Amino acid sequence: MIVRSGLEIGQAGDLQRRKAAAVAPKASRPDGPAKRRRYVSDTPWPWLMPLVAILATFAIYPLFYNIWLSFQEFLPRKRQLAYVGLENWSTMFADARMWDALQVTLAYTGICLVIQVVLGMAIALLLDSDEPGFGLLRGVLTLTLVVPPAITGMMFLLMEDAQFGLIPFVLKSLGLMGAGGVILSSPTWALWGVMLADTWQWTPFMVLIFLAGLRALPKEPFESAMIDGANAFQTFTRLTLPMMWRVIAIAVLIRGIDLFRTFDYVYVMTSGGPGTATYTLSLYAWQQTFSFIKWGYGAALSLFTLVIIVLTANVFVRVARLKW
Amino acid sequence: MNGTASQRMLRILAAWFVVGLFALPIYYWITVAFKPNRDIFALPPIFFDFDWNLSSFEEVFGISFGFDKGLEVLPGGGNFYMLPNLWASVVIAVLSTLLTVVVATLASYALSRMRIPGQHHFVFFVLSTRMMPPVAIAIPMFFIYKSFGLLDTYTGIILVHALMNMPLAVLLLKSFFDDIPTEIDEAALIDGASRVLIFRKIVLPMAMGGIAATAVLCFIFSWTEFLFVLTLTQTAFKTVPVAASTFVTSTGTAWGNMAALGTAAMIPAFVFILLVQRNLVRGLTLGSLKQ
Repeated sequence: MIVRSGLEIGQAGDLQRRKAAAVAPKASRPDGPAKRRRYVSDTPWPWLMPLVAILATFAIYPLFYNIWLSFQEFLPRKRQLAYVGLENWSTMFADARMWDALQVTLAYTGICLVIQVVLGMAIALLLDSDEPGFGLLRGVLTLTLVVPPAITGMMFLLMEDAQFGLIPFVLKSLGLMGAGGVILSSPTWALWGVMLADTWQWTPFMVLIFLAGLRALPKEPFESAMIDGANAFQTFTRLTLPMMWRVIAIAVLIRGIDLFRTFDYVYVMTSGGPGTATYTLSLYAWQQTFSFIKWGYGAALSLFTLVIIVLTANVFVRVARLKW
Repeated sequence: MNGTASQRMLRILAAWFVVGLFALPIYYWITVAFKPNRDIFALPPIFFDFDWNLSSFEEVFGISFGFDKGLEVLPGGGNFYMLPNLWASVVIAVLSTLLTVVVATLASYALSRMRIPGQHHFVFFVLSTRMMPPVAIAIPMFFIYKSFGLLDTYTGIILVHALMNMPLAVLLLKSFFDDIPTEIDEAALIDGASRVLIFRKIVLPMAMGGIAATAVLCFIFSWTEFLFVLTLTQTAFKTVPVAASTFVTSTGTAWGNMAALGTAAMIPAFVFILLVQRNLVRGLTLGSLKQ
């Protein structure tokens, strides 16, 4: 393709010729309206249209549909939806099980975040070295991230099985657990059993992000700290942590969002049980809609979950001044 | 931070031990796929010395009944023939990735290069769609799909997976385009090249590595997705993660078959993730951290 300046476009990377070619049009710019118009008519909308169309059809429209649905309820006798006003919303705020689910979700999110950040940082510090074989170890750690979460749930379902599971067996032989070996059907321990699967799968996420952050840190402050006689703990709290805060904030944001909307693990491992011990908001909303045919109530619950996440995450992004 | 030789040794040992702990469940799960039932339930658990056995794989891939009798119901109540589901997973992951990458590449090029009113807000809106809980999309989508006849169809799942991956793809690709100096575009613009031409001949080839990495991540997330497929399909097909969950039958769980299917599902994802190591952290953080 030959463009007007006579330069073949395939050679546009060639600096000499590009500079030479760039001079002439610049000089003739005032009387080159055709060229100027190209700049001006350089509209982004054709480029953005497909994305906007997809987001409008599959994010905004469902969102409004969901809002509409939350003011309706399915009447089994009439076999149709009917307008019920704010009933679903008032039921929701008076529903003890919803508050239980919120509590479970918050506990799950908070505990997992703390464990995964601390563990992730510890492992990242351990692996932040050029020892032979450490590259391989980092590669192996990425593998947990791509196991489908539902499959992870089943892996841990088997490993936490009271009779022949690996984990109860180890805990029992270490004397840390009674003969029952019950994890996932114990109201106290079920949530921890699910969190174990989550932590196994996603701690490497933290490790990889923190490792990338650690590797990008400048060397000089650490050298001068060593000369000044700072110990490892001081170096970590006074230098590493403050310099890593942005990296940590991004990891916490992304992980926090995913933790708050957890569904796969609890659905596969416990279905919310025993009792309501592992009901997360997402699972509760899903079950209300699809198992108990309370379409409108499920919609209200899922919207409530959405509002909490999107608000919290947006505030977090603003406060931490993260940029995209 | 380099201490004595013994400290160094300790660190290497600790690192191998910790990573070994993370690798163990995967290894254990793969052995379950090769174990006869007797060895799956053995106590203490057997890690190495079991009877290698391919029957779980044979059932899952239909080898034991000549690949075609998919509807045969096996003892235990479950049908373990999963080849159609693997195929469904591949079709959905590939097509939704293709759709996502094409749409996102166009959009993120514009977001990276052109002056757009309210651009900051738009990027933020895209990021916000990443925050929406899938359940809040899946519930209305079920009813919308039902009325449009998209329930239980490949098209429906492909579209919804494309939406799911869109924020990741747009933000990640934008970060790759931002890495390419704008001087290149400007010089070509002054030379009279059109945007489309610059995009096709200059920027796209330069961003190919980033686009490939984005595609791989989209493929993996579609491959591993659970909630949308669970909600928006009924009888026509299931992808692998959802199909595997049906192995929990009333008469017990077919652990061997489940592990065989799980193993088969992990292998392509493992290969792919090793291909994008260099861009993985950037992908996981939606393009905000560069390696």
